[in-house]
Amino acid sequence: MRGRLALKLGASKSMTEFEKVEYKPVSVRELLTEMKDISELMIDLAYSAALFHSKELAEEVLELESYIDNLVYLLNMHAMLAARDAEDAEALLSVTVVANAADKISDAAADMAAIVLKDIGVHPLIREAFQKVEEHLTRVKVEPNSFFVDKTVGELKLAPTIGVDIIAIRRGKKWIIDPEDEEVIREGDVLIARGASSGIEEFEEAAEGKIEKLEEE
Amino acid sequence: MTIPKKISEQLVKKLVELKDTSELMLDLAYSALLLNSKELAEEVEELEEHVDDLHTEFELLALRSGFSPKESKDFLGLIRLGVVTEAIADAAAQIAEVVLRGIKPHPVLKMVIEEADETVTRVQVAEDSPLVGKTLREAEIPEKTGMWVLVIRRGNKWIRPRPNTKIQAGDIIIASGYAEGEEDLTKLATAQI
Repeated sequence: MRGRLALKLGASKSMTEFEKVEYKPVSVRELLTEMKDISELMIDLAYSAALFHSKELAEEVLELESYIDNLVYLLNMHAMLAARDAEDAEALLSVTVVANAADKISDAAADMAAIVLKDIGVHPLIREAFQKVEEHLTRVKVEPNSFFVDKTVGELKLAPTIGVDIIAIRRGKKWIIDPEDEEVIREGDVLIARGASSGIEEFEEAAEGKIEKLEEE
Repeated sequence: MTIPKKISEQLVKKLVELKDTSELMLDLAYSALLLNSKELAEEVEELEEHVDDLHTEFELLALRSGFSPKESKDFLGLIRLGVVTEAIADAAAQIAEVVLRGIKPHPVLKMVIEEADETVTRVQVAEDSPLVGKTLREAEIPEKTGMWVLVIRRGNKWIRPRPNTKIQAGDIIIASGYAEGEEDLTKLATAQI
């Protein structure tokens, strides 16, 4: 979904300079859904970057942050154009408040990414804490004998069977963030995923080719 | 590691609670918006205060842990992680405030979070309820009532529902679903079945 909207908006250019944000008629609903999804994804990616000491992942977070900045700008523009009277303005205020909250979340994720990029240091206690939280993150390499190989993300049905979500794939030097259902998993891919601990364990075993199918909970 | 084990254990415990609570708040805030529920929004506000306190305790604990100058960068990272969780909690409270102000959330918000015509309900589990002592998986609340458990309040603690969470007498279950389910859930929790 990100790809689709990003294309429409012509976003994801250089992150250092401000882009001229042009008003384009994209629906508020689309913008807000995207903001909500991406900001939450960013938090997981930022935590993963810290946990796995990945500067590349941290950079992806920063890029998403500038993308979110553009979205919030567009969304606020939309809201202003849509208000015809005070009543409208108040109703639309709820939309911009939520958009700004998503922006705040994305800023927090970027701050987290900065810890990794600036070599501030990830205390060993952080790793320990991350093993105890409800939602676990993992990084695992797809072995040649895993049944994941040559399957699409959608075919694996990870979310409905074991409650696990693949949030990023590293293929050589390339990162695929928030992979689409159609994305084909290849041997040697490094998968970053989140989920509850039991599901995560099964996911790791499957990627490493230790089990041949997923047991439903 | 040079800091005392007792302090490091507490730091981990508080960090875990900060992260879990801030994410729970975000779920609840969106639910409050979706269901236009002041009650749920108030829970988010309360949790926000709790996170503020927790965050302060966490920072103080980190600062007085007696880390060496060599470890200061690592501790800065630790403290900043706490700040991130606090920022998420703030964002959740900001969303909840829309509901508390009595602004009717714009219809587009509902569409975004989920298209549904649901209500939020809150029931206390009676001592003789068939739910007592069962895990959420065993209780089969969604199957029996069509209600989805959002959160369980036990005394001052908030518990995010998991399949193996055990229900106790006195628990307050907050769930969302259709009006008919609300009645079924109340019956189940108050042992009128």
